[in-house]
Amino acid sequence: MTHKPLQHNQCKAIDDLRNLLHRSQGMVLDEDLTKQLDHLCRSLESEIKRSNYPEGGFSHDPEIGWKLKNFSKQKNRERRQNDNIMDVIEAGLCLLDKNLKIIWANKTISDWLDLKDSPLGRNCKDIFHCKEAEIDNCQALKVFKGGESHVLETWITTKAKKRLCVQRFAIPVTNKKGTIENVLVHIEDVTESDKSLHWLFLLQKLGEKMQGTLHLDTLLHLVLTCVTTGHAFGFNRAMLFLINKEENVIRGKLAVGPSTREEATRIWGEISNKYHSLEEILDALEYNSNFDNSYSLMTQQMKYTLTETDEIIVTCAREKKAIIVADAAHDPRLTEEFRNAIGVNKFVCVPLIVRNESIGVIVADNVYTEVPITEDLVNVLTMFANQAALAIENAETCKRLEDKVTQLTTTQQRLIRAEKFAAIGSIVSYIAHEIRNPLVTIGGFTRSLSRFHFEDAKIKTNLDIILDEVVRLENILNNIANFSKPSIPKKATCQVCEIVKNICSLMENYFKERNINFSMEFEPSIPPILAVSSQITQVLFNTLMNAVESMPDGGDLSIRIKLIDKTIKIDIMDTGAGMKKEELQNIFEPFYTTKLEGSGVGLVISRKIIEEHGGKVSVKSKCGRGTTLSLFLPIQ
Amino acid sequence: MPTILIVEDNKNQRLLYQEELQREGYTTVMAFDGKDALEKVREEPPDLIILDINMPRMDGIETMGKILSQNKQIPIIINTAYSSYQNSFMTWAADAYVVKSSDLSELKNKIKKILTDRPKDF
Ligand SMILES: Nc1ncnc2c1ncn2[C@@H]1O[C@H](COP(=O)(O)OP(=O)(O)O)[C@@H](O)[C@H]1O
Ligand SMILES: [Mg+2]
Repeated sequence: MTHKPLQHNQCKAIDDLRNLLHRSQGMVLDEDLTKQLDHLCRSLESEIKRSNYPEGGFSHDPEIGWKLKNFSKQKNRERRQNDNIMDVIEAGLCLLDKNLKIIWANKTISDWLDLKDSPLGRNCKDIFHCKEAEIDNCQALKVFKGGESHVLETWITTKAKKRLCVQRFAIPVTNKKGTIENVLVHIEDVTESDKSLHWLFLLQKLGEKMQGTLHLDTLLHLVLTCVTTGHAFGFNRAMLFLINKEENVIRGKLAVGPSTREEATRIWGEISNKYHSLEEILDALEYNSNFDNSYSLMTQQMKYTLTETDEIIVTCAREKKAIIVADAAHDPRLTEEFRNAIGVNKFVCVPLIVRNESIGVIVADNVYTEVPITEDLVNVLTMFANQAALAIENAETCKRLEDKVTQLTTTQQRLIRAEKFAAIGSIVSYIAHEIRNPLVTIGGFTRSLSRFHFEDAKIKTNLDIILDEVVRLENILNNIANFSKPSIPKKATCQVCEIVKNICSLMENYFKERNINFSMEFEPSIPPILAVSSQITQVLFNTLMNAVESMPDGGDLSIRIKLIDKTIKIDIMDTGAGMKKEELQNIFEPFYTTKLEGSGVGLVISRKIIEEHGGKVSVKSKCGRGTTLSLFLPIQ
Repeated sequence: MPTILIVEDNKNQRLLYQEELQREGYTTVMAFDGKDALEKVREEPPDLIILDINMPRMDGIETMGKILSQNKQIPIIINTAYSSYQNSFMTWAADAYVVKSSDLSELKNKIKKILTDRPKDF
């Protein structure tokens, strides 16, 4: 290899540098930096030109010794100047020879890589702490072989203990003949742009995770974990409040964070030992539910009406803007209550907004580490809150749907039960009708037999027993006869008063036999209604029978029909035994009866019929005094 | 003595009504279905008809309609196991509606009442 004058080499390097700059315009390189380098090239060039040395190499002139001395002096001055420039530019630069040894480096490199001694002469992989894979895939070597350099990105800790994200790549430096003699490694600080990227990536990841969580409580926990975990926002504590529109309040739902400094130290230690990435923490979330702590319990006690104008959380929700409180003790936007509850001087409130409407607020602070809350962080937190709000709304909708489904299921089950009931009813009704005819015959003949005179008194007694049993069976049949009918009954216009008169005239004798004083009282002009009169008759029969049965020693029974608004009210009043409160609660239960010979279906059927007519049944009763049963039938 | 036509498809019940009403002193005529009843009415109109509703061939309601169109004078008592047939039309058209019972006193009372209310003047 021939030694060429330095200045020639330098010119060549500058050319190369410039070439490269041209080529890399519009690429990853920062524009400022490109300009800076360009400027650098220019100044280097003019420096060299100003040193008026003849081009073309060494001559063996006698003057040469002096000239050479002069030249090296000049050269040194020049180099110092260049070094000064190189040292102040915001980029790390170092020049490698073919053995990847550093032959020149600027000061920035030493600062950034926190090097104690001069890197000159060292192998580049030692100062960059290259990993195995990186050594195999050495970009400088690649460039020496004529390839293109990739950009490598790493995190470093500088001499000033600052964490920087840097990108480095190798630039070939050729001589006049075009052979690559050196490689310039260029290191650039991309921490800021990387931070934004990092946040974007994180937001996307958290968003995905949140959208995939439809269980509301789990989601709320997830949201707060994101706010507090060191891998994401890294706040010490966070609370979440949700608005309840119906109640017009904003209420604390959940809080995540240690209750004391000691707990904080312990938990954070545990977490950093146990989990190494955000994913790991979020995945483990379901299994660590530590939100029963006092901090969370306190949060759940917090509740403010939305009309409370001087509450910071309400303000935050109403104005839909994040609020950073820097001095809670003197901030007029806080109530004393809230100040005491949160117990920290600096915190941030971020609204949860969906479709331009607040659904809640997140409050976060750094009560233990006292790390300042920067505006940048709050901006990202706001973006995160928007995603969280959307997910929360989804989960709430999902929950509402779930509730609806449960409701539907119970309704369906009720319908099925009702249907079964009706099916049983129609069987019962069929059997009842079929049984009645033979009963009539049995009872009728028994009765006619019992009129004869028998020598043996036992025959008479036995006949009476048969008769009693027949009557009892018939009574049961009377109660369930109209339980359900084989065909759907047709409603027709009919007069309730007429129906009542009819059935009462049928029962007149029956009342008399039992010493029951019966009376009817109708308001004039009760309008006709659409009804199945046989069913209404059945209801009246069942209720009148109940009234009669409550007065075994006789009493007063009266029916009163009134028109109230657009409803016909039929009162059936007796002066019988009445009912206790416990009894009253059960009388509409199928098969509930207090009678030895009761069926317990009379009132169930009656209510069913009245409800089918769009009406309702109510009962008032006083134990020992009597009962009033009221039927309400609307006029359509 | 008044004549009562009993329309009932159940043989045993027919026997019961016959026995019981004869004991009350009435003359009884039996019909086992609607068609039979119509013939009996045509042959010799009774003083009163007791009609079951559920019968084969022609049911009680149809029978009643036919009888009424022939002779509006004869009172009819509907006697049935089905209280559900007690709709307004039936109640108004018939002179009485008695739900079948082994205790015939209600039926007997109705018969007596109807026959005394309407003195036999033809
Ligand atoms: N008028 C009333 N007075 C007192 N108790 C009544 C009256 N009506 C209903 N009850 C109570 O409600 C119960 C249920 O009535 P119901 O459904 O008709 O069945 P049942 O009459 O066969 O017992 C009765 O057993 C009785 O205890
Ligand atoms: Mg009852």
